[in-house]
Amino acid sequence: MDAFWIILTGALVALCCGLLGSFLLLRQMAMVGDAISHAVLPGIVIAFLLSGSRDSIPMLAGAAVLGVFATVLIEWLHRVGRMQSDASIGLSYTTLFAIGIILISLFTRQVDLDQDCVLYGEIAYVPLDLWILAGGQSLGPRAVWILGGAFVLILTFVLVGYKGLQLTTFDPAYAATLGISTFFWHYALMGTVSMATVVSFESVGAILVVAFLIVPPATAYLLTDRLPVMLGLSALFGLLSSILGYVMAAATNGSVAGAMSVAAGIWFVLALAFVQVKKSILRSQSVSR
Amino acid sequence: MWQYSFLAIPVFSLLLAGCQATPPDSANGKIRIVSTTGMIGDAVAKIAGDRAEVSALMGPGVDPHLYKASQGDLRKLSEADLIFYNGLHLEGKMVEILEKVGKTKPVFAVAEGLDHSKILQLAGQAEVHDPHIWFDVRMWADVATYIGASLEKHDAPHAAAYRQRAAAYRDSLLALDEWVRSELSTVPKDHRVLITAHDAFAYFGRAYEVEVRGLQGISTVSEYGLKDVSDLVSFISQRKIKAVFVESSVPTKSLEAVVEGCQKRGHKVTIGGTLYSDAMGQAGTPEGEYIGMVRANVRTIVHALKGESHAEVSR
Repeated sequence: MDAFWIILTGALVALCCGLLGSFLLLRQMAMVGDAISHAVLPGIVIAFLLSGSRDSIPMLAGAAVLGVFATVLIEWLHRVGRMQSDASIGLSYTTLFAIGIILISLFTRQVDLDQDCVLYGEIAYVPLDLWILAGGQSLGPRAVWILGGAFVLILTFVLVGYKGLQLTTFDPAYAATLGISTFFWHYALMGTVSMATVVSFESVGAILVVAFLIVPPATAYLLTDRLPVMLGLSALFGLLSSILGYVMAAATNGSVAGAMSVAAGIWFVLALAFVQVKKSILRSQSVSR
Repeated sequence: MWQYSFLAIPVFSLLLAGCQATPPDSANGKIRIVSTTGMIGDAVAKIAGDRAEVSALMGPGVDPHLYKASQGDLRKLSEADLIFYNGLHLEGKMVEILEKVGKTKPVFAVAEGLDHSKILQLAGQAEVHDPHIWFDVRMWADVATYIGASLEKHDAPHAAAYRQRAAAYRDSLLALDEWVRSELSTVPKDHRVLITAHDAFAYFGRAYEVEVRGLQGISTVSEYGLKDVSDLVSFISQRKIKAVFVESSVPTKSLEAVVEGCQKRGHKVTIGGTLYSDAMGQAGTPEGEYIGMVRANVRTIVHALKGESHAEVSR
């Protein structure tokens, strides 16, 4: 049963990240997940200074505020500052992370306070962190409920906003002539991404979220040029990575999040090899003809 | 969709592999106990004797601040009959998981067994305490008593044996405490300064009248500033301190800047050796047990602070 819960948690993270990551990849904002993982540090420190506690709720709140702020800053630099998206991501998160470190050395040097020890969860321990009712019945792991809720919200967002997201991703100018606000959809997507990543960090740690935001969408991108297929394939590869990763972690007694991330990379390499082989076969066929 | 058919074979083999349930270890009548740090595991093993199988999640050289769970750690925790952890946020976010597990099986934070007034508070933060309690050997003796009492409660039929072994271990810890005191008293008082990379030795300093200075804060992730380095360099040069120390679970690089800075000011300070701070040495060596670890640390400190050559630091 433990294996089932861990794989399900990984799969839910994969589904959330696969849907959002596909849009991020197409908008050349794939590194936004990694950026948020660093940018939340000042939020954690400020939440600690205000609440005086390192419990999950204040930490999560502080991280969420800074996560949203980071994405707003990235978008603002990109639009108003006319910077390339990679440069605006790099500039935003390094600055925020540095502010976090300065806050720690000014106010909380004596406190063990960083993302690793107060925010990032551990996917291997998901089956132990049960949601137990007052009556004593267990409803299964807390993370599955949280991530399941996040998945439902993200799926609704993508389904309802599909047209807006698609048009503003591929052809912002055309979208503008239709009266669709690129501004609105950028911030809506980025806001969703930052909430989803921060919540996932709390359940499963950072590396898995960053990997699942980028690698399965990149794998899907190799195999298709149609958005709906890409969304479906990203979710599928995320799911497969979760399963393969768990099996690898069980076989090696290694880190579950690490193995799932590596598994995502393995699927990417397989897909890349498949595409290359297919291309060379097509080329040799057209030459021989 | 034929082109994706290459996925089918690995998918099905994975599904099959993923569903194979691993049989639980056959219980051989022993209590299964899991601890977080090696120090706690050692104490539990000494007190439980042959009644229990004890395993520690954090192995030799693992910094608890940076510990990452492996797949097997989950099984260890879920199959354990009893769990001991340090508490005071040493285990970070994992404490929340351990508290959850505590609703279904006995889970003990050994820091709970201490007189609360002995626990060091940090920098005006009411809820924040220094977790490195094992460096005051007398406090660790109290922890041994607490572990003994916890085991007695859980396994009442063998209570007498636990009490006896806990008392014996406590006695050897109190003897160790005396030994540490007498060793350190051979170092002149104004030379009794312990400089390390991160602030793990506050309890040690308080218990044995050693002035403690760390380059970083408690967290091994926090960064040290230029001012920290230059302050420490002037402190060392003025007090003519002979050695600084690196820790087995923290990278050595940070202190090298301090040593270099002192040399530029014409004061020679050496790296006095490696101390075990947040983790013990390799299993099977004397430093792989708590008492051996403390002895090794004290020997290293005393030799280096007296300025004896490194060759004399034999173990």
